[in-house]
Amino acid sequence: MTRQVLVFCEHVAGEIQPIALELLGAGRLLADKLGAQLAALVLGHQIPHLGQVLIAHGADMVYLADHPDLNLYRTLPFRRVILDLLAGFSEAPLIVLLGSTTTGRDLAPRLAAALETGLTADCTELDIGPYEHTNKSDPTKLGLYNNCLYAIRPSFGESLKARILGPWKNPQMATVRPGVMAPLPIDTARRGEIYPVPVQLAATDLQLIVAETLRDLSEQVDLAKAEVIISGGFGLGSAEGFQLLHQLAQSFQHSAVGASRKAVDSGWIPHAHQVGQTGNTVRPKLYIACGISGAIQHRVGMDKSGLILAINKDASAPIFKFAHHGIVGDLYQVIPELIQQVKTRTPSQELPYAVAYTL
Amino acid sequence: MKIVVLIKQVPDQGSKAGVNADGTIDRAKAKRMLNPFDRYALQAAIHTQRTYGGTVTAVSMGPPPAVEILYEALAHGASQGILLSDRRLAASDTLATAYALYKTVSYLGDFDLVFCGLQTTDGDTAQVGPQLAERLGVPQITYCEWFEIQDTKIRARRVIEGGSQQVVCPLPAVVTVANSSARLSYKTLRGAQLVQRLQRDEVLRKTYIQTVTLDDIQADPERCGLKGSPTIVAATEKVGEIGGNCTLYQGKGPQVLVQELLTKVALREFIQR
Ligand SMILES: Cc1cc2nc3c(=O)[nH]c(=O)nc-3n(C[C@H](O)[C@H](O)[C@H](O)COP(=O)(O)OP(=O)(O)OC[C@H]3O[C@@H](n4cnc5c(N)ncnc54)[C@H](O)[C@@H]3O)c2cc1C
Ligand SMILES: Nc1ncnc2c1ncn2[C@@H]1O[C@H](COP(=O)(O)O)[C@@H](O)[C@H]1O
Repeated sequence: MTRQVLVFCEHVAGEIQPIALELLGAGRLLADKLGAQLAALVLGHQIPHLGQVLIAHGADMVYLADHPDLNLYRTLPFRRVILDLLAGFSEAPLIVLLGSTTTGRDLAPRLAAALETGLTADCTELDIGPYEHTNKSDPTKLGLYNNCLYAIRPSFGESLKARILGPWKNPQMATVRPGVMAPLPIDTARRGEIYPVPVQLAATDLQLIVAETLRDLSEQVDLAKAEVIISGGFGLGSAEGFQLLHQLAQSFQHSAVGASRKAVDSGWIPHAHQVGQTGNTVRPKLYIACGISGAIQHRVGMDKSGLILAINKDASAPIFKFAHHGIVGDLYQVIPELIQQVKTRTPSQELPYAVAYTL
Repeated sequence: MKIVVLIKQVPDQGSKAGVNADGTIDRAKAKRMLNPFDRYALQAAIHTQRTYGGTVTAVSMGPPPAVEILYEALAHGASQGILLSDRRLAASDTLATAYALYKTVSYLGDFDLVFCGLQTTDGDTAQVGPQLAERLGVPQITYCEWFEIQDTKIRARRVIEGGSQQVVCPLPAVVTVANSSARLSYKTLRGAQLVQRLQRDEVLRKTYIQTVTLDDIQADPERCGLKGSPTIVAATEKVGEIGGNCTLYQGKGPQVLVQELLTKVALREFIQR
């Protein structure tokens, strides 16, 4: 059996979620570095079409479990099917990846505990590399390990990243933040094997019942799809400040308003707008940070943006360490000026095109 | 109803005390606090006890000073506290922590509900709750923001992407409480008075707060601490210094600064698409 990198792929009612494609993108890089195969794992009901979708997005093979009891995600049935599948493998996968979603964060620790293996939460980078363990306090761990999963995530404190390793046991597991990894371009000509996964559930697996699921997608702030994000932080000083940001956002196409956690915690804007470690991860073409200091927990949610502008009255604010351009000044003076100048600089002959685009 | 709530003492990030120049935390010097997420779990536990009767046992694993948060739980109305404290637990990752907490909960006997916080601010993994549920062999409800007990079942609403989900689950179960759940209410007068008495009266204290070691709860030391942890932090890296190519516009009026910016950066591209 060729060794595998296994990726758990989420879908909602048969519609594959962005995180699944992002994990396939990340998993592909890892599998290629390891000379391993990339296997996708998907569970649900009436989802035979997903096999080819996952292959087109980079999987070499797909394990597909299709069963009425897997219709909606529930911890114990999913746990059972996955543990049974892995128990049938002659060798454990090298790596298992899940998304840091409410599903992935529910399922991954449960699997890791059952498999007695390591799990790193909320990774923002993954890589493969060597590691030599020299700490003698546990002699069973000593040695040089060549192909370890480097699970990299923000760490406690303001500005540290930690590289977490657990090469002693496979699978090495990690959950990955949505929006961080890049999906592969779709290739419908790709071919791969699709394996049906047997489903045998115990009565105890089915005790929890999902009575109702409510998803209001219209209420969702679609930061992930926005091309321009105007974010506000504690420097706004009040909820009213966000009105100014909305005005600035209106100057741009496909824009949305984001926020730092301190602004959210102050009650100025709902949590759905939060960008960062405990909020959304975004990579718009343009990110404008207004009155945001640039703490690591905020940064990991936005530093892959194409162009980062920062407005902050403190020239030594950390945000200026990773923004591309920064205006040092009071946002209440700078933003109205920006709105004004952006408007007047727009050549009028291009306007019809812009209108056509919005229509 | 036998209710258990897991709470952890974490360094207070709001205060600068104990934060080293390189951004690491000196846990000996740092100010300590109850993990903010665990306040919601504590509220859920006390609410359950007040509404449906029973006892609340607050459980914590940590060095001796962590007893402070057990006092805090008692002041809010918890019935008793238990602290697992043992040097052999140092450097435990989530798997080892969940094992040790599982042994502690089992040591307490049967339970109906175990409440956990969603995550800690120092470990920051949200893994310990589900890993504990796996060890205990019971169902779990994560991201719970509302619940009620109906006979021997819990009906709960959990947060999911873009919405919520109602589930019904038999007890016993592990519940991790979302921070959109009810906020922790005030300390009770009776609780606060009890804590004052406990601080003076060592004999009485031992009837409310128990401190146990791995031997007391019959936990295997090989499965705790460094030995029982499949993961290690191999390296930390400061990220604040990366980059440094920011073009700064400063020292002039806002009108001039914005003009300078807009000559350098083609924002038009984003406006027009
Ligand atoms: C476990 C954990 C998870 C976290 N998750 C997140 C997360 O997901 N997202 C997140 O954002 N944070 C998160 N944080 C919090 C993070 O550490 C910071 O505290 C937070 O990002 C700071 O928000 P801020 O930049 O708005 O506020 P501050 O740090 O207070 O910065 C305000 C800035 O505004 C500037 N300013 C003030 N007035 C003006 C003015 N008139 N004009 C211009 N500038 C002005 C100031 O110079 C300052 O730089 C998390 C923290 C922890 C511990
Ligand atoms: N040392 C500990 N003592 C008691 N409870 C803990 C401990 N560590 C984690 N927990 C519980 O597990 C939850 C999740 O923690 P974590 O996985 O570290 O993010 C916390 O909110 C606590 O309820």
